[in-house]
Amino acid sequence: MSTEDQDKPLFSELPEWADVVPIPQYETDAPIAPILYSVEYKDATDYFRAIVKAGERSARVLQLTQELIRLNPAHYTAWQYRYETLLSLSSSLEAELKLTNSLTFKYLKTYQVWHHRRLLITHLRTPLPELPFLNRCLALDAKNYHTWSYRQWLLSHFIDDEDLWKGEIDFVENTIADDVRNNSAWHHRFFVVFGCGVREGEEDRARVIKRELIFTKQNISLAPNNPSAWNYLRGILDHNNLPYSLLTQFVKPYTVPLNPNAVDIVDLENPPPVKGAELPCVYAIEFLADINEKAGDKESLLKAVELWKSLANEHDTIRRKYWEHRVRDALQSPASA
Amino acid sequence: MALISRIKRLVVEILSILHDFFWARFAKLGPQRLPPPQESSPRDVTARHKKMEEIRLPSLNRPGHAAHAKRCLSALPDSKTDLDASRLALAFYNIGILDLLDILNDGTTLPQWQRDGWIEWLWAQQTHGEDGSGFRPSPFMVHNPPGSETKYSNYDTPHIIMTYTALLALALLRDDFSRLDRPGLIKFLRACQREDGSFTTTPKDGESDLRTLYCAFAISAMLDDWSGIDVGHAKAFIASCRTYEGGYGQEPFCEALGGTTYTALASLYLAPPSPGSDPLTTAEKNQTVRWLVNNQASSGGFAGRTGKSADSCYCFWCGAALKILDMSHLIETKALASFLSECQFKFGGIAKCQDEHPDPYHTYLSIAALCMYPPSPLWEEEKPESWKFPVLDPLLNARVETAEWARRYISGK
Ligand SMILES: [Zn+2]
Repeated sequence: MSTEDQDKPLFSELPEWADVVPIPQYETDAPIAPILYSVEYKDATDYFRAIVKAGERSARVLQLTQELIRLNPAHYTAWQYRYETLLSLSSSLEAELKLTNSLTFKYLKTYQVWHHRRLLITHLRTPLPELPFLNRCLALDAKNYHTWSYRQWLLSHFIDDEDLWKGEIDFVENTIADDVRNNSAWHHRFFVVFGCGVREGEEDRARVIKRELIFTKQNISLAPNNPSAWNYLRGILDHNNLPYSLLTQFVKPYTVPLNPNAVDIVDLENPPPVKGAELPCVYAIEFLADINEKAGDKESLLKAVELWKSLANEHDTIRRKYWEHRVRDALQSPASA
Repeated sequence: MALISRIKRLVVEILSILHDFFWARFAKLGPQRLPPPQESSPRDVTARHKKMEEIRLPSLNRPGHAAHAKRCLSALPDSKTDLDASRLALAFYNIGILDLLDILNDGTTLPQWQRDGWIEWLWAQQTHGEDGSGFRPSPFMVHNPPGSETKYSNYDTPHIIMTYTALLALALLRDDFSRLDRPGLIKFLRACQREDGSFTTTPKDGESDLRTLYCAFAISAMLDDWSGIDVGHAKAFIASCRTYEGGYGQEPFCEALGGTTYTALASLYLAPPSPGSDPLTTAEKNQTVRWLVNNQASSGGFAGRTGKSADSCYCFWCGAALKILDMSHLIETKALASFLSECQFKFGGIAKCQDEHPDPYHTYLSIAALCMYPPSPLWEEEKPESWKFPVLDPLLNARVETAEWARRYISGK
C-alpha cells in the first residue's frame, strides 16, 4: 500500500456519506476463487452497492465511482453507472474526457477505459483532438491493440470528417519509419489506403496502387526479412486482383544469396536488397514459388516445388510440414498432370 | 521412500505459497514492470533454432500445475482485485486445468463436498430478469441470497462471456443442468445481439466484438437451439472482421489477431452448416492457414500477430484455429512442447513466456494446446508419461468427454 492510500479516509469515515447504509456483498458458503479484498475496496464497493440500489445520481456518485475505478479499473458496472450519472447530471463531458486521459495512460490494456472513451466521443462528437492523444498512447506502447482499435473505430465512425483523415497517411508513414517491423502500423496503412473508402486526392487508384507498391518494395529492400511488409505487398495485389507475377523481377534478387559485387543502382520499380541484407529471404522464395504455381505450366510448377523444398529442408525448417503440404497440394492439382 | 517424496512435495507446496505471497506484494507495483522485450522477426533467429530431432523435453510439472490451479480456486490475494468482474472465467480455467490433467473426474482426487460447493457457487451466479437469464461474473454487485425472488436490475445482469464459461464449468463438474433456464438463456442472447450482428457483453451495455459473438455461438451449440441469434447477420459481422493478412481482427477494421481468429473460425464451424456452402472459400482457407502457420516462431511457440514474440496462449488460439481447419498435421509438435515447457514456472503454473509469472489463463490454454498437439516422438525423454493428454474438442475448448457432456445435458435432448 502506498502512503497515498493510507492517508485516504474510508467512505465509512466520511460525514458526507453518513446517511448511506453500506451493503455488503452476498457470498455463498464455499465460493470459487474468492478475492481477499483490501479494506479500501470492500468499503468502496459496499457504498457503491448501496448507491446503485437507491438509484442515486449525484456529484458524490462521481467521486465514489472514480475511487472504485482506481481500485479496480475492470469494474465495468462502476464505469456504466458513472457514465449514466454524468448524463443525468448534465455534467461536463469535456472534463470527464480530461480525467479519462490520465486513466487511459494508466490502464492502456483495460477494455473498460477505452469503451468509456468511445461513449464520450460518440456523445461529444469531437474526434480531432483524439489523434494527438492517441499518438501519446502509442509513444508509450506502439503496438497496443486497444489503442489501434480505437483509432480505427474513430476514423471509421467519423468517416466523412476530412480534417480528421487528412494527416493519416503521413502519420502512418512516420510510424512505419520509426519501426519498420510494427505490423499494427502496416495494418493501419492498409485500413487507411484500401480498407475504409476513398479519400479526396486518392481517387486515381492506379496511381495509389503504384505508390503503395513502390513504398512497400523500398521498405523490403531496406529490411528484406520483414513479414509485415511482405504481407502488405500481398494485400495490395490480392485486394486489387493483380497477379503476383507483376513482381517477378523485383522478387528474384531476394531469393538468392547476396551478390557482393552488385553496384548501387537507383531503381524505384525494382529496388535491390540493401548491402549486408540476410539473404536468401524466406518470404521472397515463397513469393516466387507462388508466382510459379500460378503460371499453370508443368515446368513452372516443378520450379515452385523446388523452391518449397528448399524452404522445407533449409531456409524455414520450423514450417517443414507446411511446405511439404504445399508440394503435395500442388502436385495433386490438374496443372501437374 | 514414500515419506521422503511426501516431504519433498510439502516443501514445494510451502515454497509455492511463499512465492504467491511475494508475487502478490510485487504485483502491486503494476502489471507492466518489465520493459517489453525487443521484438525481432521470428525468422531472424532461424539459424539459432534447435534441430527438431535434438529436442529433449523436460518433464511437464503436472503436480505443480494442479497445485497452482487449486490454490487459485481456494483464494486470491487482493492484488488480483481486477479479476472481481470476471471470476467465473477464472473458475472455468482452473477447474479446466484439473480436467485436462485428469484429476477432476477420477473419483478420488477431489472430495465430493468441494465439487458440490463449486457447483452451488456456479448456480448462484445464474440470474433472471427482463432480458432473460444467464450468469454473472461473480456476486460483486449482489446483496441478496440466490433464490430470493428478486429480478436483476440494469446493474447486475448476466454477462455473455461469463455465461459461456459457467456452462462449461458446470459441464466440467458433470452437473445435470436441471436448474438451467433454457428459454431465459435464448431470450438473453436475443437481448445481446446488435444491429450489426455482433453481441454486447451485457444486454444494456458493454463492448461488442468477436469474443462475445463466439460465446453466443458456443451457447447456442450447447443448447442445440439457434433461435436466440440471427446467424446470417452474425456471420456477416465475422466476415467484416477479416483482414488482408488472412486472420480476423477483434472488430471491423482491426489488425489480425490469434485469439479473435480462433473465435471467428470456431463460430463459423459451430454454426449449423448451410447446404452447399463451406464456411470459407478455398482461397480464404489457404490464406488463413498461411497466416496461422507463419505465427509459429522458430522457438516453437506461436505469436498472436505478425512480427510479435511468441506467447503460450497463442499456442492454443492459433493451434486450435488450425485444428478447426483440419490442418493440425502442419505443426511441429515437439518444438511447440519445447516452447511451452520453458514457460513453466518453477513452483507450478505456466506463464506467457519464459521468466514471466504464471496465471490460470496461460496455464489452461498451454495444456489445452498440448492436448491438441501432444509431442511426438517421445524417445529419450525423462518422463514421457507427463506428456500424455486427453483429446480436446477445439470448437468448445474442452476435452471431448466434457464437450459431449455439455452438448447432451445443456441441450436437454
Ligand atoms: Zn498470452
